Amino acid sequence: MGVLRYCLLALLAIAGVHASALSVQSPRVTITGPDAAQLRTESLLADGPLPTLTLGADDALKLTFQVVESDGGKGVQPHQVFLRFYDELSGEEGIQPLRVTPGGKAKFELSMSKPPASLPPSSTAPLRVSLLLGSFSHAPASYSLFDLLVPPSAPAPTHPDEPSFHARPEIVHTFRPDPALPPRPVSALFSGLVLAPWVVLLGLWSHIRPRVPRLFSPQILPFVSSLAAFEGLLFWYWVDLRLGDVLLYGGVLGLITALTGNKALSATGEWRTGRK
Amino acid sequence: MVGPKSAASSASSSSSANALQTLWKAYNDTTSPRLKFIDAFLVFLMLSGVVQFVYCSLVTNFPFNAFLAGFGSCVGQFVLTASLRSQVNPQNRSEFKDVSPERAFADFALGSIVLHFFVYNFLG
Repeated sequence: MGVLRYCLLALLAIAGVHASALSVQSPRVTITGPDAAQLRTESLLADGPLPTLTLGADDALKLTFQVVESDGGKGVQPHQVFLRFYDELSGEEGIQPLRVTPGGKAKFELSMSKPPASLPPSSTAPLRVSLLLGSFSHAPASYSLFDLLVPPSAPAPTHPDEPSFHARPEIVHTFRPDPALPPRPVSALFSGLVLAPWVVLLGLWSHIRPRVPRLFSPQILPFVSSLAAFEGLLFWYWVDLRLGDVLLYGGVLGLITALTGNKALSATGEWRTGRK
Repeated sequence: MVGPKSAASSASSSSSANALQTLWKAYNDTTSPRLKFIDAFLVFLMLSGVVQFVYCSLVTNFPFNAFLAGFGSCVGQFVLTASLRSQVNPQNRSEFKDVSPERAFADFALGSIVLHFFVYNFLG
């Protein structure tokens, strides 16, 4: 795999060495006024700074050049010839494809009274105009031609529905304040009041003292203790346990309670009917 | 004799305090200690429920689930205990021919446990 990649790279390098370069011959730009009077003529790609051309609202611009091979000077028709308008301030750019004859000659006319669609929206900064050449059999080339000042474009039309897409004002919710506990003395008083019936109950029960002669006999005791265990399980559930666990333990304990209860209650029934 | 008895009964019916005293005395004498045991529990439940309700209406019902759980437990337990008492009472034997006191107690135990489970669930 590595050998194949190396061979491919070598092949490309060789192709690059033998690829011819493109160059532009006699590039010329002319600006004419509305009455066909020649305002300015420039020969481009000469040494020195790029010329800055100004186009009025009614002026027209004409660009002519010929694409040739740099070694030999033979005219060539590259596969792609683009004119790029670039606004450095806003970053907008427009690409205009140019038609080139098989001999390499190209001509482009721009009239500000009917500007092409490739002219990007611009403000007051100059448009940098460059030429981009692309070809399968030649190395690509790019030339900066000139700076162009055009009348600033009108602002983009706004859609009547556009304001409805703006951000809405923030919603401010007002929540009911959290419920508060009553003051501590009130809570303490009512805690005492709620626990008072227990005192009453214990007092009454100690006064009544019912007889439970057979509570701790072997028939009754398991039943009562499994009922107490159920209460303990439920209290444990309140404090710590989860539902699945309590249902599982409750199921097991319920089985035990049912068995012991059966025994206990049948015993009490027999005692009741036997005594009676 | 009809005379003293009617005189005594007219004297007791003339004042309601006397009537209450007679009722209380009759209750004390005729109720067995086991039934009195259950009655004490019923009184306790009633007091407990009343206090909780007074608190909820006077002060706050802030942990409302707690109030519902507590009050519901009082009411539910009262209902279960009252039904147990009426089924267990020997004087009601004719009304509950096919429910033995043991069966009544088993129902009471099962109902209480289920009630406690739901109350603990709701207590939070």
